[in-house]
Amino acid sequence: MTDDKDVLRDVWFGRIPTCFTLYQDEITEREAEPYYLLLPRVSYLTLVTDKVKKHFQKVMRQEDISEIWFEYEGTPLKWHYPIGLLFDLLASSSALPWNITVHFKSFPEKDLLHCPSKDVIEAHFMSCVKEADALKHKSQVINEMQKKDHKQLWMGLQNDRFDQFWAINRKLMEYPAEENGFRYIPFRIYQTTTERPFIQKLFRPVSTDGQLHTLGDLLKEVCPSAVAPEVPMPEVCSWLPTWLLASSAEGSHLPSLWRDWEEDGPRLSQQGAENRRNQSPGTETLFWDQVVASDTENVLCLNSRDHPQIHRMVGLLHQEKSA
Amino acid sequence: MEENEFFGEKTFQHYCAEFIKHSQKIGDGWEWRASKDCSDGYMCKTHFQVKNGTAVSHQGTSAHVQTFLPVEEALDPPLDDLEVTETTTAAEVIKYEYHVLYSCSYQVPVLYFRASFLDGRPLALKDIWEGVHECYKMRLLQGPWDTITQQEHPILGQPFFVLHPCKTSEFMTPVLKNSQKINRNVNYITSWLSMVGPAVGLNLPLSYATAASQDEGNVGGQGKKRSLCSTFPVAKILEPLLHLAMSPLLAPAFIKSAFISDRLDTDLFV
Repeated sequence: MTDDKDVLRDVWFGRIPTCFTLYQDEITEREAEPYYLLLPRVSYLTLVTDKVKKHFQKVMRQEDISEIWFEYEGTPLKWHYPIGLLFDLLASSSALPWNITVHFKSFPEKDLLHCPSKDVIEAHFMSCVKEADALKHKSQVINEMQKKDHKQLWMGLQNDRFDQFWAINRKLMEYPAEENGFRYIPFRIYQTTTERPFIQKLFRPVSTDGQLHTLGDLLKEVCPSAVAPEVPMPEVCSWLPTWLLASSAEGSHLPSLWRDWEEDGPRLSQQGAENRRNQSPGTETLFWDQVVASDTENVLCLNSRDHPQIHRMVGLLHQEKSA
Repeated sequence: MEENEFFGEKTFQHYCAEFIKHSQKIGDGWEWRASKDCSDGYMCKTHFQVKNGTAVSHQGTSAHVQTFLPVEEALDPPLDDLEVTETTTAAEVIKYEYHVLYSCSYQVPVLYFRASFLDGRPLALKDIWEGVHECYKMRLLQGPWDTITQQEHPILGQPFFVLHPCKTSEFMTPVLKNSQKINRNVNYITSWLSMVGPAVGLNLPLSYATAASQDEGNVGGQGKKRSLCSTFPVAKILEPLLHLAMSPLLAPAFIKSAFISDRLDTDLFV
């Protein structure tokens, strides 16, 4: 797991080019320009949008500002879901950039959790990490850590410090040599088609006869409707190709451009649309907003940073790109 | 899915069913709701409480809520009576919903709840904290984000407040061990709810305890225990004390220690 450093880095540094626009009914003193930002897939909206908030608050009066919240095509965005997950669930089949609307009033109490401070995000993040460790190690590893280790995990995420984060996270990703894996795999499956926000069940990494379970086994067990071979899977998001393409600076048709996203957002959006129009039929070229399925296995919206099957998919896509 | 040796989902559902049976007998209002795909479900109850004390701010911003006084449960007047005989306005009656779900990660039950005024305005976390029972306040004040927080309901997907489950098995283990020792049937849900509920205004009538400790088929014993419940007015007076003793093997001191910070380790995250 942790010897797959490249894959871990690719997952960590995944970005989504986003355009934030102020909701038209917000009261402003002058016109608010949209704000462009590259959002980290592994982080949370309210953690990385201070600049967005400041940008729009500059054109508003204090009395017209209350708690910020975000919406995409009418759906309030749950800040407590990782950004990459929100994008995959709601916007991955649309063209980039991701267009998000910013609100400062009429907070939707029935849909969204409040986020009054960074402490709330930290508590939520740590709560997820702890729950995952309860499944992986009966909470032994997380509870044996000191408070400063917990803090380091959080600070690593908050400050986008891969090494700082993984120095602690690698301990949470280990298991004793005599075992074949964790006690249970911490996973959640998100679908837009169900009322239930996610599927989470107990699932062992190894079967009773000693075989390692695959992602396909997991899906068949807990979400059989996603694996019916003859049925197309609209709810299965091929997030993997999209973010990989968006995050890499290598491919020739790809964003070394992304680094300048924040300045060049409008121009790049146009360019992407043009590239798509100019694509000749039958080519294998991968564009950053296209859906690619390179394997017969289903790729899903797993909120997991480290499942072995994801690594395999990443490997396959890397091969395709360099071919 | 996997059945846990200690307290698996099937066991949880069994205890909830037993609990609900008793609730139905005494009209306590608990019911079971299955999830849409019927793979699991939760136990829930709605009740109304009258806010006691200071005035509601008329803008409808967070109201100052005193420590909860349960509306006399068996003496609940229908809601329209309440509005006629008292001068409380609709804004001062608060609707509470309590949901008991199962956490497969921690393999314990978890209490979710939300509160709103009758016009639909939800209570803020701040108001919830202010209404928390005195003996739990110290722990909460040390780490408010860690004991009661706002979370997404895992089945409904809506914001609820939650009492964190990670310490549950710590305080429930002695209850279960002791009950095994003296060969007494204990309904896990009854014991657990009697301990965590009061922190957020949820009280269980005494009769749950006697129902839980009845052996099935012990008809003679039943008769004797029922008479205790039937002296209702007496039970009502003693209720605040007796619901703590409902898990009778738990000394009040233990309950206190489970919720006050000097007993728990300093790691306040779930």
